[in-house]
Parts: sequence; structure tokens; C-alpha cells
Amino acid sequence: MSIARDQQLASTFVTLADTLVADFDVLDFLGLLTERAVDLLAVDAAGVILSDQRGGWRPAAGSSEHAHLVEVFSAQTRQGPCLDCVRGGVVVASADLTDDSGRWPEFAPAAVAAGFRAACAVPMRLRDDVIGALTLLSTAPGAIDEPSVTLGQALADVATIGILQQRAIRHEAIVFEQLQAALHHRTVVEQAKGVLAQVAGLGMHESYTALREYARANQRRLSAVASEVATGVLAPSALLDAPSTGSGSTESTR
Amino acid sequence: MVEDRFRRLRTLLTARRADQSASVVSLVCELCVAELSISGAGATVVSHLPGDESAGMERGLVYATNPVSAGLEDLQLTVNEGPCLDAFASGGPVLVADLAAEGARWPAFTPAACELGAAAVFSFPLQVGVVRLGSLDLYRDETGPLGRVEMADALVLADLATQGVVADLDGHDVHDLSWLADPHLELHQAAGMVQVQLGSTTEVALLRLRAHAFSSGVPLAEVARQVVARTLRFTEGEDGP
Repeated sequence: MSIARDQQLASTFVTLADTLVADFDVLDFLGLLTERAVDLLAVDAAGVILSDQRGGWRPAAGSSEHAHLVEVFSAQTRQGPCLDCVRGGVVVASADLTDDSGRWPEFAPAAVAAGFRAACAVPMRLRDDVIGALTLLSTAPGAIDEPSVTLGQALADVATIGILQQRAIRHEAIVFEQLQAALHHRTVVEQAKGVLAQVAGLGMHESYTALREYARANQRRLSAVASEVATGVLAPSALLDAPSTGSGSTESTR
Repeated sequence: MVEDRFRRLRTLLTARRADQSASVVSLVCELCVAELSISGAGATVVSHLPGDESAGMERGLVYATNPVSAGLEDLQLTVNEGPCLDAFASGGPVLVADLAAEGARWPAFTPAACELGAAAVFSFPLQVGVVRLGSLDLYRDETGPLGRVEMADALVLADLATQGVVADLDGHDVHDLSWLADPHLELHQAAGMVQVQLGSTTEVALLRLRAHAFSSGVPLAEVARQVVARTLRFTEGEDGP
């Protein structure tokens, strides 16, 4: 592992640890985690799905909110490496999705059509349960290398700890409360993205970035900012006019 | 699997509806008592004043399967604290297996609720993002958590109640719950866009989207897709985009 990657890794864990304060935002945390996963693991996209605890799965965060990626992350809640991963609790990978349309007749062609060729999903495990998965996608074919998978598992474990807000010892109830709240906040964020998209003619990814940049610049929770935008408490102009101060962690190379 | 759980509970709910003219929310409360290890269920549906989205938990219609549940619903609104209000604040359910141990969390609610006969309380917010519709509140006269399968059932029952409240609001009883749990997030993006187009609340936007899907016969997911793709735009008329 290169020195640059070591430094990146150290900085990622410090940043993530910083996020795990008392009043942190699960969605913000997972968004940051997927972005860092892309940088660290030499993949092109990363996403997290979470259990809806009714027996289904829902997309919770992605390294970008571009429509094609969101579509892939939605599709994989129905079929694909991610779903196989959460069901079996093990890492599931495809070195070339064009060879796997027999295995995943809907997901594989959809992912390839969206520009992805290789995928790897690592489980977010909590004792005997799997509460979600981190999926890594590459635009080039070829197995995602072993060190990246190991590191991906470490990030997935951090994500699990984050969702539990370090209170894993308490009760199973906490997991239910936290996961449902995170999924609820995801809905609120989508509503707020729609407001900004309509007001400013932005794409959904740009709308998301505006929400997050404002939240970070003002040290607010992403979900609180989104809620205020969707309910009209916070005027869209407040997020759109201000020049992005940029916290340095959100540059996307894609 | 999720489909089976939905189907089973929805079938049970439909069977109850055939017999009675009661509201979906009250039937869901009864179903909670029948299906879960609880003593009683209650629900408060937020009163909806047009354009009054900022209002918090307004006292609205209250349903309860027994006097204890009715008392608990009343109590939370009176003392202005408790699991249902916390559920709204956090956005997720609030699950308390031993209420007596939570005296510090709700100093006014806890002793009064215990006095009423509640030993464990489980509250589920009924909401679609920022659209707050009400809460489903369960209690048991003995301490202890809900089992894992019960939790999943309770979440589905809360979904059914949410669907029921929305259907009551717009009169479109579409037998399609998928919009609630649909991983396609476009519906919620579309609601945000439409509220700007209409100068309305998110709730009104959601109802207009549903009304358009209903009257045009186009699936809601497709209507949302068209809005997000900017090929469909709503205007401030009475009906349709």
C-alpha cells in the first residue's frame, strides 16, 4: 500500500471519527463514507443500502447522486451482488458484469448500461445480522483487488458502528430506531433536492451537493437543513446564492 | 419476504374493512392488537389545515382500542412530551421496553403513563418525509421488547396506516402501497419539484401527484419520472398538471 494511500486512509478514519459525535447525521456520515471509499479503493462509485426491516432493502447513500448511479443502486435492492451479499452475509463480487447476466438477468445489463463493468458488495454486519451493504462499482472490468475488499470491509464496519452511534451494547431496538430514522431522512433529503432542482434548474446531484455544502459550511445536520428547505423554513436562495466554501472533502473526480 | 408480509397484513385489513365502515387507521389499531404482543393501540392523526405545514403535532382525530390507549394519546398532547413526539423528532420509531426506567427522559409523561397502566410503549411516526400525518402508538401492560418479526409487522402496519391516512385525505384508495416503500426515490424528488411549481406544501404536492396518477391511469412512479425529467409540469389549477 502506498504512502499516499496510507495518509488518505488515516485522514479518512479521522474524518469519520470526527463525524461520530453525539448529534451526528447518519446520512451525512454514509455519504462521506461512500465518497471516501471511491477515493481510497480505486473504484468509480460506491453506495450503501440499508435494511428496511420489513424484509426489503433501500438505497441510503451514494458517492454521487447522478441519476444513472441512483438507478443502479435502486436496481440492486431487487437483484445483484448487493442483495446476494446481504442475504448471505458474505462478500459477493463480479469481475465482469457482462459475463454475469445469467446470474443477475436484470441487474447486470442495467449496471453495464449505466457504464459499470465490475462490482463488489461487502456486508455491514452486526453480530448475526446484516443491516446493509457497501457496494463498490468499477467502470473497467477486472476483480476489485483483495486489499481494497479488506479495506472496504473495514469501512463497512465503521458504517455499522456509525449507525449504532456507538451504542451497540444497548438494545436491538436502537438498530430499528436508527435505521428507520435514516430511511426517513433519506426521503426528506429527496424532497429537498426536488425543491432546489425546481427553483434553480439544477440536476439532482447538484441539488444534493448544495444541501450538503450548506450543512457543512454552517455545521448543521444534513437532514435538518433538508427538512427546513422542504418545509419552507429555509429559503432555497440561502443555499444557492452563497458561494460554496467547500470543506475540501467533496471534490469528485468523476 | 416483504411481499408476503405486506400481502398477509393487507389481506387481514381488507377483510376487516369489508365488515365495517370504520377508518383504516382504526382498523390498523385493531389489527395491531390482534397481531402483536401488545395490550392496546392508539393513533393520532394530525389535523390538516391548508397551508399550515409548520404547525407541529396538532390535536386531530384520535383512535384507540381501549381507554388506556385513549388516555396515552391524550396524555402526550397534554404534557407535550412522550414517545410519539420523540418519534417525530427523530424520524424513526421510539421503542421502550421498560417505561418505568425512562423517568428522566419524559418526567411528566412517564409517571402518568405508568399510572394509566402502560409498562412498555412503542411509537411509530406516520409520515412521508416532511409530511407529518400522525402517529401509531402501542402499549403493553407488561415490560419487554417487541420480537423481531413483530417489529417488522409493526412497521408494515404503520405503512398501512400511513397509506390509509393519505387515502382519506385525497379519496384515492389505490391498492398500491409500493409508493411508500419504493426504492425509486424519484417520487419524493418530484414532490419537492411540484411543491415549487404550485407554491404549495409538500403534502399538497404529494396529493396532486397521486391525483394525477389516479385520473390519468399512469403509474405514480412514471408520473414522478416525468416530473423529474421535466416533461411534466404542474400548474395551480384544480385538477391535473
